Amino acid sequence: MKENKGFKLARILVLALICLMCAIPFYVLLVLSLNAPSRVFYEGNLFVPTFAWGNYADAWAKSRIGTAMVNSAVITFGTLGLTILLGGMAGYAIARRNNAFNRAVFSLLIGCMMIPGIINTVPLYTLMRGLGAINTLWGMVLVCSTLCMPSAVFIYTTFVRALPRELDEAAEVDGCTGFKAFWKIIFPVLKPATASFVILNGFGVWNNYAQAVFFLQSREKQNIPQALSVFFQQFGGAKWHLMSATAVIAIIPVVVIFLVFQRQFIEGLTEGAVKG
Amino acid sequence: MSLPALMLFCAFFVYPLIRGVGMSLTDWDGMGEATFVGLSNFERFFQDARAMGDIRTTLIFAAGSAILLNLVGLFYALLMEKPFHGRSAARVMIYLPAIISPLIMGYIWYFLLQPGRGFLYHAMEQLGSSFQLGNWMNDYPTTMTVLILVNVWQYAGMTMIIYLAGLQGISSDLREAAMIDGATSWQRFTRVTLPLLMPAIRINVVTNIIGSLSVFDVIMSLTEGGPGYATESLSIYIMRMCYGSRTGYSTAVAMILFLIILVPVLLSMRLTRTKD
Repeated sequence: MKENKGFKLARILVLALICLMCAIPFYVLLVLSLNAPSRVFYEGNLFVPTFAWGNYADAWAKSRIGTAMVNSAVITFGTLGLTILLGGMAGYAIARRNNAFNRAVFSLLIGCMMIPGIINTVPLYTLMRGLGAINTLWGMVLVCSTLCMPSAVFIYTTFVRALPRELDEAAEVDGCTGFKAFWKIIFPVLKPATASFVILNGFGVWNNYAQAVFFLQSREKQNIPQALSVFFQQFGGAKWHLMSATAVIAIIPVVVIFLVFQRQFIEGLTEGAVKG
Repeated sequence: MSLPALMLFCAFFVYPLIRGVGMSLTDWDGMGEATFVGLSNFERFFQDARAMGDIRTTLIFAAGSAILLNLVGLFYALLMEKPFHGRSAARVMIYLPAIISPLIMGYIWYFLLQPGRGFLYHAMEQLGSSFQLGNWMNDYPTTMTVLILVNVWQYAGMTMIIYLAGLQGISSDLREAAMIDGATSWQRFTRVTLPLLMPAIRINVVTNIIGSLSVFDVIMSLTEGGPGYATESLSIYIMRMCYGSRTGYSTAVAMILFLIILVPVLLSMRLTRTKD
């Protein structure tokens, strides 16, 4: 179908406007983060900051965002690692051994996909307190892994089902069975599934706030959103230059990772959507 | 091999969920002895004006978000469908907000929109425009609108990607055949494209309903549930009741939220069911 020239131009103009709309808040955040604390908004061009680079050093020192970033990284890698291992094994078993037990596990996990974490956070809090897991990174890893598990099992099951059975047979001929067959033969060919899972869940774990608010209250263990909300409340909404600089530091890792892997990212999302 | 995943999931999801049902029938304060109080937590909930307001807020936010996100996402996807120079860049730009923590996004919009102080206020003043948002944070319908629009702004890229994937899966032969048969572009859209897009609609509607009915982060950072409790969502209410040592009551609220999510999810899954 050939597209009308004028129509195409209008379409691209509208899209340019949409992109601008998406970019403006980020630009404003950058401007605010580079304004000197003494800057009054009524003078000079609002859209050009006063380039007070010192804000970043100041924000870094005052906000504890560094610690929070390390914590968020530990939680994210821990969660993704654990869920990939357990979810991959479960997905392999469910796809290959179609017995009542595996079918039940699959139905249970998929059914619970519809239940957001907040529903059982309060009783979970009691359990976590009993385990001494409040304000620990490993506790948060277990909580986040549980929330990601249905998605992991679903993705791995779908992918393993598409793999030829000959692969398992070849593993058996080589003397690999059970976990060894999975780890040595199957898991390496599941890279697209793993990528898909990481794409769909990684940012969510990194950005988690609804669970962090309950389980990571101590200043040493807080993650990025938790650190930002504490920092924000501390100034009662004042000191925007420090707040914005902290926000910029906080979003740099995700923006960089997204831009570097954007091709795989969009493809992974598209594929995940089609399969789901 | 599905056992480890199942064990983790049962310990940190199923067990707390079941325990929550029991807890919701007690007056437990999180520390001392719990007494069985029957359904009185539920009675109290439905007699509480704040709780009823929170239900209304949650439902309005979810309905507004889910409907707008799907319409806007589909509109974006239709604009993006045919290739043009810079399409992948536009896709990345429109998707970018969705990877940022909604809490941080709320703060960024707070800097932009704060009445009398925000960037938009000063920008409009400097550009000599008379447009002002007014004191939206104290005006109930406007605060709600701002929250919904910020949420739609942030996640429209996500629905767009899913719709794009869906559109690409529809063969152009079908639409061309419809054109040869004399169908207008509107007819082609409603009779051919839309029905074939059902799987994408289903994913988007279901995920948006679950996400927006459990909304937490963006409201925490943008309005903190204010003015008063006007924009407090049920998730925030659950957290605040839990912190207020009303553990039994907060789990009862969680059970109610569970039902509030389950009903529209099951309904929309039924309505968007495809034949295969």
